[in-house]
This record gives sequence, structure tokens and C-alpha cells, in this order.
Amino acid sequence: MSPLRSRLQMLKAFLWIFLFLGIGELIRYVSDVPIPGNILGMILIFSALKLKLIQLKDVKPASDQLLKYMVLFFVPYGVGLMSYFDFISAYWMILSVIAVVTTLLTLYITAFVQQKLEKHD
Amino acid sequence: MIDFYQLPVFGILLTVVVFFAARALRSKIKFVLFNPVLVAITLIILFLVVFDIPFEDYNKGGQYLSFFLGPAIVALGVLFYEKYQLIEHNIYPFLLAVGCGGIISIASVSLISIAMHAPDVLIRSLVSMSVTTPIAIEITKITEGIPSLTAGVVIAVGVFGNAFGSGFLRLIGIKSQTAVGTALGTAAHGIGTARAIEIGPLPGAYSGLAMCVNGILTTLISPYVVLWIVGSL
Repeated sequence: MSPLRSRLQMLKAFLWIFLFLGIGELIRYVSDVPIPGNILGMILIFSALKLKLIQLKDVKPASDQLLKYMVLFFVPYGVGLMSYFDFISAYWMILSVIAVVTTLLTLYITAFVQQKLEKHD
Repeated sequence: MIDFYQLPVFGILLTVVVFFAARALRSKIKFVLFNPVLVAITLIILFLVVFDIPFEDYNKGGQYLSFFLGPAIVALGVLFYEKYQLIEHNIYPFLLAVGCGGIISIASVSLISIAMHAPDVLIRSLVSMSVTTPIAIEITKITEGIPSLTAGVVIAVGVFGNAFGSGFLRLIGIKSQTAVGTALGTAAHGIGTARAIEIGPLPGAYSGLAMCVNGILTTLISPYVVLWIVGSL
């Protein structure tokens, strides 16, 4: 495939992703569904792929890039923690207990249920 | 005249440069606390504090990066489609497991918060703690918590799950690798999934799917739980 062609496909893939994001935000805007528009977009793009309205190769170039750099995109929110130093130093004990206990409990319950019920073949 | 750090390009440049440096560091040293996101956030905060730059100025550029969380969430739907066939034969046990785990997570955060007399804003910010960061931030906007606090705790939970999750599960008698994958994705989202991928491609797929499903589930449930406990949104 020529470089220009693959660039165009990348552009097209991003347009698809933004189209589904836009539809999701629009539904959120005009209705009362208690789901953020981007999560609606995620459900819609999965449905569209499943119903073969769009093909995986149409969107994969863009989705791969977005997932590859997703962690970069939430760095600024993490940096925002600096505005809450006082809050964290006041509640660090409760924060730690909640985080550790909840995570271990969730890990255990999920793994236990899955192991009990899953089929092996 | 405005200072350079007040231009949007400053926040973008600082974030990108530090992030890629942190990633390069991780590829040299395979130690879990050297998680690129954790290192990048710590270094950027240090930089801003040392040079006395307000977060608001940094975020003039930072917000352009945050914007891409929206399309990244949509991209999770594509990931889900790709991996879906791998687990189709086990879909019901899988959904039940993620459902139980997701509900336990919300219940645990709520009950511990109440038991320890935590302020309301803590429940509002932490109810989505197990979910992947971009979705957790969206949930916190709905429940009117502090999105940055959510992001910080969610990343910490991910690193914790990545470091100790599979060892903990082995210790308490979980033998199925796919069950370990599902658990890591449900409790420790993308950072936990990175660990599941190291265990194997199939546990990795289970983990990625669990992350998506728990994201949707928690989005649907947690606003009502917060409304019920705190009494207002």
C-alpha cells in the first residue's frame, strides 16, 4: 500500500471514530440517558461492527493509535492532583484503606465466580 | 507580555516529553513502580511545584490531551469487538463474574466510606475506582466528585493490581489463568490488563473485555448508588 493511501485510510478511520463520538454526544444531548456520550459512542461502534454496518479495517488504524496512547491522554488529570495535596494529606488513611480492600475484594470475587462457572474446551 | 508557560504549547510539550522519557525508563527498568503514567505525573507535578507554575497554566495545554480521552473511549468499543470472539463460548460466566466484581467494588467503596465517616466528596470521587481512567473521570463528572482525585486513585489502584494482583490470586487458590485475566481487568482496568497480557494472550483478552464491561456497568449503577447514599447529585 502506498504511504498516501495508508494516510488517507488513517484519516478516514479517525473520521469514523469521531462520527460515533459525535452521535453518542448528540444522543446524550437530546435525551435523558444517564450515560456519557463517549460511552454511548463505544457501545454504538461495537454494535455497528457486530451488525457489519462498518468493517474492522475501516476503524482499526485509528483505534489502535488511540488505545496505544490512551495513558498519555489522562496524564493531565493525574497532574491535577497537585491542587488537592491538602485533601489527600487529610484523608490518605481512608483513601488507602478503600483502595486496597476494595481492589483485593474485587479481584477475588471476580476470579472466584469466573473459575467456578467457566467452561474449558 | 505573557510567560512561555502560559501558552498551551507548554503543557502539551512538557507532558509529551516527560511521558516518552518515562516510557523509555520503563523499557530499561522492569520495575512496577516505574509505571510510565505514575512516573510522568510525579515528575510533572515536581516540575510545576519547583518552578512555581500554577496547574491552571499547565492545563491550558493539558486539556488538549485530555480531549482525546473521548475518542479513546470509543476505540475501546473496537477493541471489544476484536477480542469478543475469543471468549464468546464463555460469555455468560464471564459477564456474571464481571458483574459480581463490579457490584462488589461499588459496594465496598460505599460501605468503607460510610464506616470510616468519609466526607461525601470521597464517595462521589471513588465510586468508579476500579474502572478504566477515562470512564472513571466521566462517572465522577456525573456524580460531582473531583475528577483529578479519581484519576490519581484509579491509576494507583491499577499499579497496585498490576504489582500484586496475580500473586494475591494465586495465594488464595485461583488456578484458572483466564479467571485471573478477568479479575485483573475488572479490578485494575488497563494497567491490570497490561499484567494479564504478560501472563498470556487469552488472559489478556479476558482482561481487556472485563475492563470494557465493568466500565459500562459502573457507569450505569454508580450514579444511583451515590444518589442513594449521599442523597443528591
